[in-house]
Order: sequence, then structure tokens, then C-alpha cells
Amino acid sequence: MNVPQADRFDASPWAAAVGSVLAVAMFQIRRLLSWQRLLLAGLGVVFPAAVMMAVRRTARTGLDDDLAVLMLYALVPEAVCMLGLLVTMCPAVADELERGTWVHVAVRPGGRRALLLGTYLAAVAWTGAVALLAAFLALAIMQVPQPLHLAGIFAGLVALSTLGRAALFSLPAVIMPKRALVASVAAALVVEYLAGFLPAVVNQATVSLRLRSLLVAWMQWRQRLPPEMQMLVDPQPPWVQIAAVAVLSVVLVTVAAVILEFRQFPPSDEI
Amino acid sequence: MLSLTNVTKLYGSVIGVNDVTVELGAGAHGLLGPNGAGKTTLLGLVTGQLRPTMGRVRVFGARPFANARVLRRIGFCPAADLTERRATPRDWVGYLVRLSGFRGREATDRADRALDRVGLGEAVDRPLSTLSKGMRQRAKLAGAMAHDPDLLVLDEPFDGLDPVARHDLVGLVRRWAVSTDAAAEGPRTLLVASHLLHEVEALHAGLAVILGGRLVASGTAAEIRDMVEAMPSEIRVRCDAPRRLAGLVCGTAGAESVRFEGDDVLVVATRQPRLLAERVADVAVEERLQVWEVLAGDRSLEGIFGRLVRLHRGVGA
Repeated sequence: MNVPQADRFDASPWAAAVGSVLAVAMFQIRRLLSWQRLLLAGLGVVFPAAVMMAVRRTARTGLDDDLAVLMLYALVPEAVCMLGLLVTMCPAVADELERGTWVHVAVRPGGRRALLLGTYLAAVAWTGAVALLAAFLALAIMQVPQPLHLAGIFAGLVALSTLGRAALFSLPAVIMPKRALVASVAAALVVEYLAGFLPAVVNQATVSLRLRSLLVAWMQWRQRLPPEMQMLVDPQPPWVQIAAVAVLSVVLVTVAAVILEFRQFPPSDEI
Repeated sequence: MLSLTNVTKLYGSVIGVNDVTVELGAGAHGLLGPNGAGKTTLLGLVTGQLRPTMGRVRVFGARPFANARVLRRIGFCPAADLTERRATPRDWVGYLVRLSGFRGREATDRADRALDRVGLGEAVDRPLSTLSKGMRQRAKLAGAMAHDPDLLVLDEPFDGLDPVARHDLVGLVRRWAVSTDAAAEGPRTLLVASHLLHEVEALHAGLAVILGGRLVASGTAAEIRDMVEAMPSEIRVRCDAPRRLAGLVCGTAGAESVRFEGDDVLVVATRQPRLLAERVADVAVEERLQVWEVLAGDRSLEGIFGRLVRLHRGVGA
């Protein structure tokens, strides 16, 4: 008996694929709604505001607004986003293997792809929401001029940071699921913070360069940057930086999806 | 429907299955073997989780690995327990149905119907962590059946069930196997892996016996039993004069070979164990031998497996 051309499923393959991805995303978000995860998210929201408050109080001559924005950039689109994605994106496959749910998903049509993309969506949505709240709370406390303008800038930076970094962490998640956290931290240090700060072609493929460049462009700091710092940002217009993060994210997630499609996890009790 | 041709699966240097060739049509089939025999690997190959290292796997005429058109016609209930704690059976089965390509109301209805069919209707909204293992097993079964597959593959499906639940689910699975699938315009196929012979027999399934990654026998339960019956069986006699007893029974009652274990045990291989046991009793009375123990050959599943392996390797009893 061969596979029939027509089958009982009403949905087109694309609609079914999108439905599966959304089903995984919803399921993952429901998993994240535990009190432990909510507590962690609460800490992520409060932490940057607390640091900013502490710095403002201890600074003798008051905190320069530009320096405050730079600090908030380091705390939210970098630290909060990175840490949030480490706990939501890295265990994409490891969690399923540990819970015994991987096999249920892997035998569904397009299940592996849906698992990766759905987890990616859930990680971006969850971490993005936490980081946005963190940025808005910190901005409200910092009493900087043009808070709405800054809120817009940070919303853009957070969105791009989560999209790009979640895509980056999707690779260790599928290549070495059981060591994904360690591998992701290594990738973050080596790719984002070592290669990303090298004034060479290699930094063009990092999210950190794009985010820094966007911050400099949107804050109109470019003319004020000292010459040695000019090398650490890309002079191209913001749309190029946004497109670069988008392309990088699509490429990384596609590679991860292809790897996962062909990965085999032997039943441990047989070995 | 399902064919494996010279299939070998290696995990590095460890053999999962070894040169298996089998063809299964519609109906119920049991895959029987002790733990670690390669059953789960074989099911992994059939359900598209694993690719064979060598050989060819075809399900519905196509390669199952990474093949969405084949996978949507397969339902799989793995052996591992569900450790998804907070989700309810309705959440879990609904999720799996959505992953199979159904959406909205249709997905919810299918999940509810499947849960009802496996007898979880009252517990659909309780977290899985609060359910007994048997109830979680039912939830897994509902997840495998809810999208109405043409091939249902179950790995140790009745593990952890109490006798009543086992009886219910055996009946459910058997009814599923003999029902006709309207969409596929033909009967369905059921493949059940178990290490318990009576579970597979209860499904009235054809049997394939796997051991050490090799398929050592296949046929109906009766055919396999006949095959086993035709093999020499061992009778173990503990007495005060085993060598004298061996001389008296050799050449009678179908005794084919003898061996000694220690000073007081005689082991006789025969195709007529009942006759031999009677002969031992007669000789013991006539010759005034002290017989302390007469044990029939190992009739457990492990024993049968062992004998099938010896048969497979062309070794006698």
C-alpha cells in the first residue's frame, strides 16, 4: 500500500506546519507559567532597575544620561536577554529528552521542525516580554529625558537581541542538547563578546555589533564617539543592521532545523 | 504495509538490530523479546525516529524517516513514562493532535473522543502528575490513537496497568486492529512490542520474536509454540546415583543426550519430556534409587527465547 496522494487532513501543508509551530509555542509558554519561572522572570524585570537605582544613588555627581543609557543597554538587551534565552532556548531539545516527550513529538509530521520553531517563538516572546518590562521599569525609575523615545529604542534593541540570540542558541540546543547551556555560554562569549568586538570582517556576523551600531545610530552618538571606538560600530544605516540580524536569525534557525530534522536519539535503555 | 529488508542499526559499536528482514501486512502483530533485545530500536526504525545503518525500511511503501506523509499515518505509544507534570491529559492529547495537523475545534474533539475511548473521560482535566501510572499509560495510548492512524505502534503498552485496566485496554486495542479504516479503505495495522507472551497472545496477534537484535522466529503463536515443542526439552533430575540413572534411561523415552552437574544432578535432553519423567519414576522405584527432585525444562519466556536462539544458531538442546 503506497502513501495516498490525498488524505484526510483538511489543512494545507503550510497551514498545518504553522498550526504545529503555534501549538508548540503555546504549550511551551504554558510550561513557562510555573511559579519558579515567574519568580525568575520577576527578578529579570526588577534587576536592571535595582542596579540603575543603586548606581544613581552612589554616584556623587549624578549619573550622566548617556552613561545611564549605555548601562541600561548592557543590562537589558545584553544581560537580561542573554540570561532569559539561556533558560528558555537552550533546553529546547534537552528538556524534551528529559521529560520523555521528544519521542512523541519526533513521530509527528514535521514535529521536529515545529518543536524548534515553536520553542524559538516561545523563548523570544517570553524573554522579550521580560526584557521590555525590565527596560520600561528602569527607564521610569531613571528619570531620563525623552523616556518614550528611549523606550522605543530599547523595544527595538530587545526585539532584535532576542530574535538573534535565540537563533544563535538554537544551534547548541540541537547539536549538543545535553551540554547546550555550557555550549551556549561559550558561544555567547566567543562569538558575541570576542568576535563581536574584533575590528575585523568576522564581527559582521554577530548580533552584538548590530545592536551596538543601532544604539549608536538611534542615540545619534556617532559624531561624539572617540576615533578608537568608531571601529567597534558599523557605519551603515539602521535598516542594514536590522536586515543583518534578520538574515542571521533566519540562517541560524534554518541550519538548526535541518540538523534537528536528521538527528537521531537512540533509546537509552537499548544501549 | 511495512517491510524491513536486511536492516541493521548500529549505535557506534553497539548493535541495536542485526540484519532483520520482515514483512508485515494489515492486522495485529506482536514483537516479542526480553528487555534489551532490540524491540525499541526496531520500533524507532518503523516510526521514523531512527535511520537504518544498513538495509531498507519501508512503511506504506515509503521511507519513514523525516517523511511527513508517512508519519501522519502512524500512531506511536512509547514505553517511557510521561513525565510532563503540569499538563492535563486533555492538554497533552490536544497538543499531540495539533502536531498531527488538526486544528481548532476538530483537534479538541478528537482529543476528547480518544480520552473517552481509553476510559479517561473523568480525569481529562487532572494534571498528569496526579494520575496513576496506568492512567498516564491510557493518556499515552489516547495520544497515539487520537489522530486516527493507519498503523498503530505500541511499545510495552500495558506496562503498569492493573489486571482490569489491562483487560480493558487489550480489548480496545484489539477492536481497533480489526476495525476498518475508512480513509485508507482497508484494515489497519497494529504492531505491539512486549516482553510478555500472554499480552501479545491476548491480542490474537502474529508474532515476531527478537533477541540480541536478531529476529529469531516469526509466525502465529501456535506455530511458534509448535516450533518450541519440537525442540528437545531438558529434564533435570537430582538423585543419589545420577550416572547409574543415566545408564538406565539412555536410549529410552526419546532421551537424546545427557550431562552431569556436580555429583548429584543428571540433565537429560528429550523431545518426550513427559515420557522421560515417567521412565525416571519407574526406574527409581525398580532400582531403589533416591530421587530428590525432577524439574521440567524452562518453560518461561526467557527459556523459550533461549531455545529459539539455539534453534536459530543451529545448535541442539
